[in-house]
Amino acid sequence: MGNRAPLPLTLTILVVVFAFLYLPISVLFGLSFNEGGMPTAWSGFSVKWYFLLFQDQDIIHAALNTLVVAVVSTILAAILGTLLAIGVEIRRRKGRLLETMIFAPMIIPDIVLAIALLSFFSLLDVTMGLHTIIVSHVVFNLAFVCSVVRARLKSFDWSIVEASTDLGAPILVTLRRIVIPVLMPAVVAGSLLAFTLSVDEFIIAFFTAGAGRASTTLPMQIFSMIRFGVTPEINALSTIVMIVSVVILAISQRINRGGLPGQ
Amino acid sequence: MADRKPLYLMTPALLWLTGFMVIPCLLILALAFFRRGIYGGIEYDFTFENIALVFDPLYAGIFIKSAIIAGQSALIASVVGYAAAYAIASMPKRRQPLLLFLAILPFWSNYLVRTYAWIVLLNREGLVVAVARALGYDQELPSLLYTEGAVIVGLVYNYLPFVILACYAPLARLNSEIGEASRDLGAGRWTTFRRITLPMTVPGLATGFVFVFVLSIGNFVTPALLGGGQFQMIGNLVYAQFLTANDWPFGAALSMALIAVMMGLLTLQTFATERASGGRAGEGDHG
Amino acid sequence: MNSALLTIQNVEKHFNKYHAVDGISLEIAENEFFALLGPSGSGKTTLLRMLAGFETPTVGNILLDGKDISHIPPNHRPINLMFQSYALFPHMSVAQNIAYGLEMEKLPKTEIKSRVDEMMEMVQLPHLAGRKPEQLSGGQRQRVALARSLVKRPRLLLLDEPLGALDKKLRGEMQLELKRIQNQFGITFVVVTHDQEEALVMADRVAILKDGKLLQHGTPLEIYEYPQTRFAADFIGVMNFFPARMPDGTPTTADGAAFKASIPDAIRDGDEVLAAVRPERLHLGATAQDNSLTGTVRAIAYHGLDLSRCISTRRSLPSR
Repeated sequence: MGNRAPLPLTLTILVVVFAFLYLPISVLFGLSFNEGGMPTAWSGFSVKWYFLLFQDQDIIHAALNTLVVAVVSTILAAILGTLLAIGVEIRRRKGRLLETMIFAPMIIPDIVLAIALLSFFSLLDVTMGLHTIIVSHVVFNLAFVCSVVRARLKSFDWSIVEASTDLGAPILVTLRRIVIPVLMPAVVAGSLLAFTLSVDEFIIAFFTAGAGRASTTLPMQIFSMIRFGVTPEINALSTIVMIVSVVILAISQRINRGGLPGQ
Repeated sequence: MADRKPLYLMTPALLWLTGFMVIPCLLILALAFFRRGIYGGIEYDFTFENIALVFDPLYAGIFIKSAIIAGQSALIASVVGYAAAYAIASMPKRRQPLLLFLAILPFWSNYLVRTYAWIVLLNREGLVVAVARALGYDQELPSLLYTEGAVIVGLVYNYLPFVILACYAPLARLNSEIGEASRDLGAGRWTTFRRITLPMTVPGLATGFVFVFVLSIGNFVTPALLGGGQFQMIGNLVYAQFLTANDWPFGAALSMALIAVMMGLLTLQTFATERASGGRAGEGDHG
Repeated sequence: MNSALLTIQNVEKHFNKYHAVDGISLEIAENEFFALLGPSGSGKTTLLRMLAGFETPTVGNILLDGKDISHIPPNHRPINLMFQSYALFPHMSVAQNIAYGLEMEKLPKTEIKSRVDEMMEMVQLPHLAGRKPEQLSGGQRQRVALARSLVKRPRLLLLDEPLGALDKKLRGEMQLELKRIQNQFGITFVVVTHDQEEALVMADRVAILKDGKLLQHGTPLEIYEYPQTRFAADFIGVMNFFPARMPDGTPTTADGAAFKASIPDAIRDGDEVLAAVRPERLHLGATAQDNSLTGTVRAIAYHGLDLSRCISTRRSLPSR
């Protein structure tokens, strides 16, 4: 495949599918600059919706919450996930149970995980807030970091660890100067992936945020804006959120050269 | 390497998963067997009531409807995704990575935002209507949003890139000489596709289908936003039990049923893949 | 004669029931180029790893300069290992790779730099100092791996199949290069290889291993001319074998033709024996001469330098 010139049919399919994929988000992008804010008519180019965004206290607050949750849960997930990945790959015996447990967070429907955590926290009578969101996000984030780091470990030449020892390095020095630097691109890529997932995550955050508006995250804010009253600000917000996730994941892919799950 | 050290490395993460995933899920399993309290709390009487309720025609019907919608979405996504993957794999080799990247890119953006974009397109003041008006359609157009069709479009849109990726892998690995051999022996393009290419790349298609189905059936956001308040799929039903109806045990029972359905499907897929890959020559042999 | 640098005493290595190394004793002298030769599964790599410190002997001891080092961890031994895959640190430059071992010795920065520079000159790599391993060719990577170990001036340098990854021409060059380096540095080399030609060319002494046991050791000449086991005779070089009997102490073929051969003391009259003769010792002619056998040429293959002919004298017999 890919040797002969493509048929007109295949080119058409490609154009149609790409149009389908990019139309909705392009519309959103364009709309965010529409003076009138409505898709019915183009009233002129304007960035006012973006300015309004930055004046909206609720949105700023939600964005900050999202940032806090994402940063903290990513750091925790990076550490736990990397250690898990190294541990799993060193082991000679691979357990089915272990593999299932590691993949489970990525397969369980998010709504089920969300209600499970809600029930869990309620049962323990824990007051919910950003901290419970963070704890919940770490669950799936560490699975993703682990998956990315494991992929890198599969092509890791373990003899460099022995070479380091042979040249006189104690175990911690080998870890610090050889293993971690070589793994670092994968750890960073996995962390960026986790960060993006956390930033975009809605349903688990929704269920574990608890009552009160103090711990609203950006996706939660977007959801209620969509549900309960659409102001054109939302187009600007959506555009920003969209660009942020795409950029971060593109960087992540560059760093690790395509080591993301699904690649 | 000693087997002891790996254990220390894995322990923190495993503890976290046990504490914040395994135990909560077991809790849900247990919860399904309790009773909803009068004021919405939980009464710890053991009962099969909730499980039975899941099979009640009303709720079973919702399961079936969810499955049908998931099935339709998976089918459409699979066909379109396969076609797109085929098209990408037919392009000159050096263009393929870029095209694949562009196909995946939308998948990386926020899920809510992608779904919201369809609201913009489909609602009464949305783009589709605006374009129709511009073309001269003045009659009352049927509501495009808050329909089953909208939900299916939303699901297809969200998961299409994944299918493209899943189908691309076996297509790209296909040895072009096999197709040429088929043509050399007298087969036309369509026959070559039908009897050679398609059978050899079906695993990718199957993977895509199953994943879209599984992800769609338990989906909450898309039906909630694009289906409207009345629209019920399993995901919305569970959401309602926990948020408005305050019947956590029943919500738990529904979740368990959903997981059971998913597990069943995934196991089926594993069996089918293992049976299909026994004795399959040609694909993947050309490293 | 130099005193023994390394003494391997009755070393065994068991993995559960499997004896990877099954009672090997050897002495390796200072400044020697020693080869551990054997097919895969012979235990040579396990033995090497025990010398490096990555495995410990189940039974037996390893002495270096008379001191027992069997249980000293690899980072504390004055022995270094050049890995089969070279194991260069991918995120470090050539210079950084070479400097690594010296940094572990906590030497002052200036001394490290001068020794690294000196070493790079000696293996002809100074122009590549800043490159990363992925930018180097196979031969260059090997020189970096060598430099990285040599710069530490170990008492003993172990090399695990050093030439396996190189193409034929490069291999020949590197064989001589390694000999030159060993000579120049005066460090004892122990090479593990399955390639008998390599062992014969490079080593001062060779040990033949099979199934974890030591079959024979000696100089390349001794091994080639005087193999003590059928395996050794077959494994080293090309050998022709044919069965014979010893009625009245005279070696006789199955057809009854008598011939002359050197007979080891252990052989008795009437024994069934295996006769072995190197192709270069055979001459072909049209007429029978002193100590000859008659046969028919069955097949000829051209090798450039020589021909091989398959000759049968009732039993088939390949020869050069």
